[in-house]
Amino acid sequence: MKTTLPVLTGIGSVTPYGPLAGLIPAESSGPLEPSAITAWTTLELRRAFLVEPFRPASIVPGLKTRRLDRLSAWALVASSLALRDAGIDLGQMDRSRIAVFFATGFGCVELTEAFYQSAATYGWAETDPITFPETLSNAPASHVALFHDLRGPNVTVSCKSFAAESALLQAASLMRHGQADLAIVLAGDTLTQAVYEWYETADLLSPACFNNEPASSVSGFIPSEGLVAMVLEPAGRLAARPYAALGAGRWAAGGDTRAGVRQLLEGGLPDFILCAGNGAPCTPSSLTCSPRDLVGEDTTIFPAQPVAVGMGEAGALLHLLLALSRRPGPGQALLLGTSAHGGFAALRLELF
Amino acid sequence: MIDAQKTIVVTGIGVVSPYGIGLSRLQAGMLAGQCCLALATDLYPGFQGTVAPVGALPSLHDGHHYSRSDRLAMVAARDAVADIASSCSSFRESGIVMASTVAGLTEIDPEISRGPAAWYRHGGLSRAASYSVSRVAASVGECLDIQGPSCAVSVACASGAIALVLAANMLLDEAAPMVLAGGSDALCPFTMSGFNSLQALDADACRPFDQNRKGLNLGEGAAVLVLETLAHATRRGARILAVLRGWAMTNDAYHPTAPQKDGIGLASCIQRSLEMAECSIEEVGYVNAHGTGTPLNDIAETYAYERAFHGRSRPIPVSSTKSYFGHCLGAAGALEAAITIMAMRAGVLLPTLRLTDPIESLESPQVDWLRGELRRQPLPVAMSVSAGFGGSNVALVFGSYRS
Repeated sequence: MKTTLPVLTGIGSVTPYGPLAGLIPAESSGPLEPSAITAWTTLELRRAFLVEPFRPASIVPGLKTRRLDRLSAWALVASSLALRDAGIDLGQMDRSRIAVFFATGFGCVELTEAFYQSAATYGWAETDPITFPETLSNAPASHVALFHDLRGPNVTVSCKSFAAESALLQAASLMRHGQADLAIVLAGDTLTQAVYEWYETADLLSPACFNNEPASSVSGFIPSEGLVAMVLEPAGRLAARPYAALGAGRWAAGGDTRAGVRQLLEGGLPDFILCAGNGAPCTPSSLTCSPRDLVGEDTTIFPAQPVAVGMGEAGALLHLLLALSRRPGPGQALLLGTSAHGGFAALRLELF
Repeated sequence: MIDAQKTIVVTGIGVVSPYGIGLSRLQAGMLAGQCCLALATDLYPGFQGTVAPVGALPSLHDGHHYSRSDRLAMVAARDAVADIASSCSSFRESGIVMASTVAGLTEIDPEISRGPAAWYRHGGLSRAASYSVSRVAASVGECLDIQGPSCAVSVACASGAIALVLAANMLLDEAAPMVLAGGSDALCPFTMSGFNSLQALDADACRPFDQNRKGLNLGEGAAVLVLETLAHATRRGARILAVLRGWAMTNDAYHPTAPQKDGIGLASCIQRSLEMAECSIEEVGYVNAHGTGTPLNDIAETYAYERAFHGRSRPIPVSSTKSYFGHCLGAAGALEAAITIMAMRAGVLLPTLRLTDPIESLESPQVDWLRGELRRQPLPVAMSVSAGFGGSNVALVFGSYRS
């Protein structure tokens, strides 16, 4: 491996597949089925891709998450697993040069709802001071900085349809411009009653949310939750086992997807396209282009997985993790995010 | 030798503030020493406090539901590009980086927690759709028909300044020909109640850096700056308002809400921004401070200035312009960047209002606390500093432009 590009060397995740370091094992990386919602009362069956409850300290010894919402707890677990997977000893590093870049669609919506609950119950004049700061979208990223003592740039972004892709690109940009030596990129969201019922009231949900039909047999959007963390570092650390190198990329809110992607590919064709179908609902649209339109028959296309599609704008890291877990082999890849709302995100990768 | 492809310049500024729409109104008000903070009692039942609201906004009759934060951003963006959209052929490919902390929370009320579906059925669905921070950036794109990369930033009170940093990096990456970057936040019960619960609000007009400071006041507003490379700006004959010479971001990694007491993280941020700007501590003529008026922030910030400007031959002039129209949260960093550029172009050092009695520990030999009368002097280099919950710090170094 010879590259001057930032390389992806560590992965940690808390998803419906459970908390994991590295790739998802082959025996469990197949299509998932949504599970019944029990976190709130539903009159009839309602399903989604959910993260099973677990004790964070059982994964990261000593981790205290009692006052945190699930998103912050998952961020701490996933970032710890990603660093462990990368084999990085933070004690040997200048932590003021390590960036945290977090992508989310809804941020700390659980505690935002809890804050509204306290306002509804006690009135605006008597809301909970412990909850308020934790409602801010950057709370998970700041907890990651606090827990690992990371004193570099700490950024939380949200981008219609392409938050995770933009976080990857912008974190790589920080490293390229000498503003950080290493970056932990995270992307995730939690599913709450208010968010789920918003989708349902807006008539966005797949029939698979309402009955026990296999998700693969019906179309539409099945909400999902989870968080994936990835470690980016410069190439060359001897102990590193890189999954991929990040090349050029771009994203746009609109315009001609085909022209934009072809410009990025500079006439070359990737060996693989890793699809990241983002946005809710994930329905076919004339605004999106088919990956096959962009490439020839020699390119292998990894279709978007419903479990990652359900995470909307924060889903691209899970799309990438699922594709890497199928061990596509070495070659040039394009992570391609498209959305029913239009626009695209594309990132060239060199897979090892 | 300046590398025009790597030099980031500001070519447009749009502002919505309690002074009205436009930088000229903001400038006239601030140079006159006008304070927009006023007593309010109607933000929610039982509330009584001091805030700085923005007056009526132009209506946007386009069939969409936009939150107040969206609308503040859209009006500021229109103001920023008033004479650019028609003169730049690649305008549609511009990028957008908008910051907000409140975003669409202005549109949601506590009833959502009792039964979301019922609340949505009674007309909340479109209002809930504006909840995500990304809506603020998307709204600006829709308003101006821009289709380049779009991104929203939510890093508490540092958000607006971080938006400018990300925009500058996007330009260095040639991701867009120009980027509209800034922040927008509206007053709403959610944040008023939250800061009130933290006992962070001063019931009277705030007094940053004063011995008798008691907390912050909240304001609302938006600022959008047009950033592009010097090469692009020169090619299209743009009027260059300032050069963004350097920037840096750090995190205290100290506490979820409190700043690091000794200001080390912020001092390091300032030093890094000066290194990037290739600028000595002697060259900086003014610092527009974060200066919230809370006891902990102002102490930490003072230590940061003492540390970062240690060894300077004369004290560094510092003021907090939050004393004029409060803390606009996610918009603050962008508004203060706009004010810093305005001060440079007007050749003025703005005083902190109501700073009559700097506490003894703040009578620092390294810091010249601007107070009282407006000071007029050439200002070729100035800095804007922001910080926020979660420990983030940002420093932006602006320089005047000489062709």
